[in-house]
Amino acid sequence: MASATKPQSTASGVFFEGETARNTRGLLRIIILCTIAATAVASRLFSVIRFESIIHEFDPWFNFRATKYLVQNGFYDFWDWFDDRTWHPLGRVTGGTLYPGLMVTSGAIWHALRAISLPVDIRNICVLLAPGFSGLTAFASYLLTSELSDSPSAGLLAAIFMGIAPGYISRSVAGSYDNEAIAIFLLVFTFYLWIKAVKEGSVMWGAFAALFYGYMVSAWGGYVFITNLLPLHAFVLICMGRFSPRLYVSYTTWYALGTLASMQIPFVGFLPIRSSEHMSALGVFGLLQLVGFTDYIRQQLPSKQFQLLLRTLVLVIFVVAFGLLVLLTVSGTIAPWTGRFYSLWDTGYAKIHIPIIASVSEHQPTAWPAFFFDLNMLIWLFPAGVYMCFRSLKDEQVFVVIYAVLASYFAGVMVRLMLTLTPVVCIAAAMALSQILDTFLVAGEPAEPIEAPSTKTNDAKDKTVPGIPEVLRSTKGPLVGIYSYMSKAMITGAVTCYLLLFVMHCTWVTSNAYSSPSVVLASRLPDGSQHIIDDYREAYYWLRQNTKPDAKVMSWWDYGYQIGGMADRPTLVDNNTWNNTHIATVGKAMSSREEVSYPIMRQHEVDYVLVVFGGLLGYSGDDINKFLWMIRIAEGIWPDEVKERDFFTSRGEYRVDDEAPPAMKNSLMYKMSYYNFDKLFPAGQAQDRVRGSRLPAQGPELSTVEEAFTSENWIVRIYKVKDLDNLGRSHQDAGAFEKGNKKKKAGKRKGARVLRVD
Amino acid sequence: MRISQFFTAALLPFSALAAKKPTGDRFQDSNAAQLANGRPLQLDDKSYDALTKGPRDYSVAVLLTALDARFSCTLCKAFQPEWEMLGKQWSKGDKKAESRLVFGTLDFLDGKQTFQSMALQTAPVLLLFRPTTGPNAYNDPIPARFDFSSGTDKAEPIHTWLSRQLPNVPHPPFVRPLNYLKIGVTITIVLGVITFIAAAWPVFMPIIQNRNLWAALSLIAVLLFTSGHMFNHIRKVPYVAGDGKGGISYFAGGFQNQFGLETQIVAGMYGILAFATISLALKVPRIADPRAQQIAVFVWGGVILGMYSFLLSVFRIKNGGYPFWLPPF
Repeated sequence: MASATKPQSTASGVFFEGETARNTRGLLRIIILCTIAATAVASRLFSVIRFESIIHEFDPWFNFRATKYLVQNGFYDFWDWFDDRTWHPLGRVTGGTLYPGLMVTSGAIWHALRAISLPVDIRNICVLLAPGFSGLTAFASYLLTSELSDSPSAGLLAAIFMGIAPGYISRSVAGSYDNEAIAIFLLVFTFYLWIKAVKEGSVMWGAFAALFYGYMVSAWGGYVFITNLLPLHAFVLICMGRFSPRLYVSYTTWYALGTLASMQIPFVGFLPIRSSEHMSALGVFGLLQLVGFTDYIRQQLPSKQFQLLLRTLVLVIFVVAFGLLVLLTVSGTIAPWTGRFYSLWDTGYAKIHIPIIASVSEHQPTAWPAFFFDLNMLIWLFPAGVYMCFRSLKDEQVFVVIYAVLASYFAGVMVRLMLTLTPVVCIAAAMALSQILDTFLVAGEPAEPIEAPSTKTNDAKDKTVPGIPEVLRSTKGPLVGIYSYMSKAMITGAVTCYLLLFVMHCTWVTSNAYSSPSVVLASRLPDGSQHIIDDYREAYYWLRQNTKPDAKVMSWWDYGYQIGGMADRPTLVDNNTWNNTHIATVGKAMSSREEVSYPIMRQHEVDYVLVVFGGLLGYSGDDINKFLWMIRIAEGIWPDEVKERDFFTSRGEYRVDDEAPPAMKNSLMYKMSYYNFDKLFPAGQAQDRVRGSRLPAQGPELSTVEEAFTSENWIVRIYKVKDLDNLGRSHQDAGAFEKGNKKKKAGKRKGARVLRVD
Repeated sequence: MRISQFFTAALLPFSALAAKKPTGDRFQDSNAAQLANGRPLQLDDKSYDALTKGPRDYSVAVLLTALDARFSCTLCKAFQPEWEMLGKQWSKGDKKAESRLVFGTLDFLDGKQTFQSMALQTAPVLLLFRPTTGPNAYNDPIPARFDFSSGTDKAEPIHTWLSRQLPNVPHPPFVRPLNYLKIGVTITIVLGVITFIAAAWPVFMPIIQNRNLWAALSLIAVLLFTSGHMFNHIRKVPYVAGDGKGGISYFAGGFQNQFGLETQIVAGMYGILAFATISLALKVPRIADPRAQQIAVFVWGGVILGMYSFLLSVFRIKNGGYPFWLPPF
């Protein structure tokens, strides 16, 4: 809190003066920040209050499982963890393929609490980690904004915006135990340290930035954003002719220490010197050396010719280095761009080449309502704030501009990257709004213009950096101030209303959209009371209690982590998606006929198959709606055996009713989803409430799997894979034989009846 | 008219064959014609039937297309040069005709009966008739059909598909010819721009260093991206759509849909709101005349209120359950 007590403000208080005023303001600041942190935590607790302290969604279940492993087996076992209960039969080198920062953080908190005799369940730590860190994020954005703006209120506004903006809450509600939970705090704090380092040119701040950058690398794959943004900032500063020893010291310190720190994470390893994503950082590091060298020589030898020579030299070296880079990339020493990163630039790339990335809903492009939903009025304050950064374009404000443009691009391409946009939106919006508040909340009245047109300046805002004489068009005139109290009251009142609306919006969004654990669904009964739909946990506990501990469960990869975490059963594929072929195998088994699927399942020792079906309840996130992606991913590996076209009608429709194409009707997924579903309805009345279509009168028949369990609302259905037939027949033959018997008996009875009538 | 059309169409293959003496073997004749023409055979109903009827010891790849302007089939037109290039390269690259593959094009105007007999509703359709006799005989008489539904209009996927469908024959590689004109034009333009910049450096320098310019560029970029432009770009959404009553629907229903025009309207609203904010924060306190300042505050405050209220009302269209609003909208 050291900097919180520093005198940030230059605005003259009316009631306080001198030393007392500084202390009072410092105290107020601390109280306000603590309140903001409390608000940030409190607004994320909806789901805990409404449901219970439970881990949400999919990925958090893996993180939770890993954390439990860490706490039980210790750090070194965790580091070397080979997990044979996922990706059966391949297994996964989990310790070397995850970002350990999150688990280690909660493990450390758990140990620290035990050390002071507070034995808290690890689950509660995991559930409440994200809200806890959001309080820290609010504080970090206060620090960062205070560095960027002269206004005393900007930092506090940024803190509260960051605390309650839905764009950040979406990934940090209680129970959302994901990497992003701590990563956003680290992101903002690393930026703060970087800005501090650039401003002061200090090795200490640069080293701190590197330290937190290392922590960030250990926590989230999104660290690449920092790895590219900081070099870009340095590069733009060089291009603007703003090279300075401050920049040199801070960047080289950060790069050298940060790269070393990041290489300590097994998953990252030697990537920072081999992959193209990190090349810009290395390139700018080299460029800085050259520019620094030239700068030094120029100071020593002020000869014009020599300068020209040096400039040419720099250019030649740059070109040669670039050529070398290209050569190394072509020869394969430097890894090419990874698909996920590449798809950010070439937006059509993922859909053609890596359907598994395109299939994830987080990787879809963002429509404009999502921006407004997540940021509300900040979204239009944001451009205003960016514009104000151009007013006194100091080094740190250049950073904000670059960050703003890049992050808006990324957020537009991928919904999930809204998370990296939110901090800069909050900061820029706070800068814009604080400017308005500072202007309109001044109690004094400026003097009449005839007497003194430019004496009354309430703040030293109009300082421009020496050496850049140019100013923005809107700030050409001398600052006067606001004359009438009417104007002040009007604007202040309006801003207060907008802020209140913003708070209500954030609360509404958080409560309605982001607080559902998605493991437990809530619905309202006609009388308004809440009804909990708990099918997932019901099914997973059924698996846990009724199957062998090593029974292999096949399901689409979305449910892999949950099965591992809640049912504790080995799975074929999970949300890690490291092996596309294995996922495609599961996709093929699901989308093929039973005769094709059965050998696949036998080869992978599958005991149970789990499908999610929403047709009874109208739950749209079910497997039939995800089915096309299974087909597409399988088609990518077996283009001759699985064809997306076969699953559409001749008119190109995706249907599940009578007109569904045979490939669809015969697929294992379709059969398992609708097996026995028609028995729930009067004959011929079976209705799928998600697709809104009437199903065929004759329901599908299964021969190689048998229904083992169906949850209360039919959301989860589990099938047991049959063993080989005792007589060596195929299951279809055996089934036909059984049925043939029954038919014959029925026929006989009918015949007898006919006889009697005659 | 009709008769003459039919006549010429029927004569077409013969006129092509006239260059070389017909040998009577269907494959050799067709292949020679294809090599002479330098593009896939132009078929009609009659020659199509003759070429594809069994028994057949060669393969035929036929593109059923509709090139006439009346059908306004953009994919057909976009794909046609690629198809001709592929056919030409394949037959050129396979001099000994070991792959025994004939390329043909059947336009709808020449092959109405064929289209009708197959009940085709869409074009283009690519059919591959595999040999029914000979060493590579394939026992399924139904031709393989390439799926154009993914909207591909390039020759490479077709080449891969053909190679996969005909596994035991040589596959002449497909090499996209270098577009020398394009390369030349690009180099000229780049050099021109460099020369221009070098010559106009004294004029140019203040422009790049102009802060207002950079501010405008950054703001335009930010407004474009935050109003969902990338979504339009990736999903290729329509610019506007009708509302079913003859009018224009400006806003798409649903949270995950949008129109091109809609995003521009939204970007405009954000822009006006941001501009009003900038004016209130920076311009208004610099107005020296108290009366003018008062009016400016009223105007800009009113603009923000009105625009924000309208934005909220638009958002309520997109998200039905949204409970908040501001007067007047």
